[in-house]
Amino acid sequence: MEYLFHLFIISGIFVILALSLNLIIGYLGQPALGHAAFFALGAYSSSLLALNLGISPWIGLFIGAAFAAISGLVIGYLTFHLNEDYFALATFGFGLLIYYLIKNWVDVTRGPMGLTNIPQFLTFSSNLESLIFYCVLIVFFILLTIGVMKRIVYSPLGRVVQSIRDDEIAAESLGKDTRQIKITIFMIGAFFAGIAGSLYAHYVTYIDPSSFTVMESILIVLMVILGGLGTIEGSIIGAAILILFPELLRFIGIPSAIAAPLRQMIYGLMLIILIIKRPQGLVGKYKLW
Amino acid sequence: MSQIVFQLFLNSLIAGSIYALIAIGFAIIYKTVKFFHFAHGVVYAAGAYIAYTFFSILQFNFVISFFLAILLTGLIGVGINHFVYRTLRIKRAPNLIFLLASFGVFIFIQNLITLIYGSEVRIMRPENDIAIYSVLGATITSTQVTILAVSLIALVLLWIFIQKTRLGLALRAVADDPHAAQLVGIDSDRLILIAFFIGSLLAGVAGVLISLETNLDPTMGLPAILKGIIACIIGGIGSIPGAVVGGFFLGFVENFGILFIPSIWKDFISFIVLIVFLIFKPEGFFGIKAEKELI
Repeated sequence: MEYLFHLFIISGIFVILALSLNLIIGYLGQPALGHAAFFALGAYSSSLLALNLGISPWIGLFIGAAFAAISGLVIGYLTFHLNEDYFALATFGFGLLIYYLIKNWVDVTRGPMGLTNIPQFLTFSSNLESLIFYCVLIVFFILLTIGVMKRIVYSPLGRVVQSIRDDEIAAESLGKDTRQIKITIFMIGAFFAGIAGSLYAHYVTYIDPSSFTVMESILIVLMVILGGLGTIEGSIIGAAILILFPELLRFIGIPSAIAAPLRQMIYGLMLIILIIKRPQGLVGKYKLW
Repeated sequence: MSQIVFQLFLNSLIAGSIYALIAIGFAIIYKTVKFFHFAHGVVYAAGAYIAYTFFSILQFNFVISFFLAILLTGLIGVGINHFVYRTLRIKRAPNLIFLLASFGVFIFIQNLITLIYGSEVRIMRPENDIAIYSVLGATITSTQVTILAVSLIALVLLWIFIQKTRLGLALRAVADDPHAAQLVGIDSDRLILIAFFIGSLLAGVAGVLISLETNLDPTMGLPAILKGIIACIIGGIGSIPGAVVGGFFLGFVENFGILFIPSIWKDFISFIVLIVFLIFKPEGFFGIKAEKELI
């Protein structure tokens, strides 16, 4: 029972990640392949603030997210004047750069040993109590993310965002500053990924670089494409399926030495087949191409 | 001091020749099909593992293992083109879709290697007693001499192929303008196949050579393809001489960089180079502008 709560919380964190990435890929149409970097920045900055300076996780949550958003600003500023292939590679490279940074900067991040004893949001009297609290907290942040996304998507700004995806030249010819809008949306996406990171760190209380590899970034991309680009339900379904799917492999009883590469092979195959056969995903409206 | 500099010079040449081989393969494919074939990195890793299979497991002669490995690696590239990219090409998918599919292929093959060989590192050493030579105070092993010599031969053969043969001419024609090439009777599908074969074969050469010097590891493809792409961006994307220059430039910057910063940050040097180029010179040394052309 407690394990089900745990799975719900982890799925919820990935739902926030998938939603925030869907804003960038599904609505804005920009191929960001380094989303795990913002997840890592949120997780590490709020944990380090809590461990070293004793700053409350409630405040660290927003500082971490703001930090992720500022990095988004820098990356967007550096790459949005280049074509999409470069943007895809630059974000992927950024994901790898952040991974190397948390792995090699041992003095601060303790490298592969990871950060332990990260404080939780509150002190709990029982394990069940903490699980219920985190479930409620995650649901709150999912609803907040969906609310913000809806406000953006159905606003005049949202129309411009989707027009950039459909035809950037047309949007530009109508006098819209597409580069600035792209940077803004990218920053909002990074902000929510940072929130997801902080929630994750203060929930599991232990983080190490292995949770923030480039594979995680590709996994989030896969969640978005599987569910459907440009839909909110799609991201929720995609994240839930891909988090619960490895549990199925474990349930069947495949040993973990085989299960881990097998799972990744299925992800790779899934990505290829989806974009060839069903680029709009399970419930999507917008076709990737 | 001059000894250290000369040693770093040799190390740079060795690293640079490996990067150049990966980058040229990537550039030949990019020039012909105009998308980022990211899975090139895993083709390189596959080359190393195939050579390992023939040499260390099946106990073949090293030279035979080498040629079998690079041929099969070329065929893997052709297979990826045939089963994944060709389908997308028929449907006229945009570049970005090819890149995403390429990531799918990368993950699939990398984990297939892990599934077959396990995630622990493997070692392949054909020479039992490695001779060590001393040149101007710097040391170089016979393995390193082999790496340099084989890379040089590969580069020269490639240059002859592209500049002096009819097939090389046809390849350049398709790269310049696929429609015009088709009009004069060049079968562009067949040339794409040849580009994938040669490009992947070169990745295989790099993969086998590097495994003489370091360990084999299923994840070795990722850093390799990043270095390859960075080398291509430095040289100018889609330019073959650019890929060679970019590869050696990256080799030199990385190795001489450790004179100035601690070696644990070596991984970062190539990223810093990339960022500098993306900001100040996105078209690289020899390339065309990467900036989005609106209108």
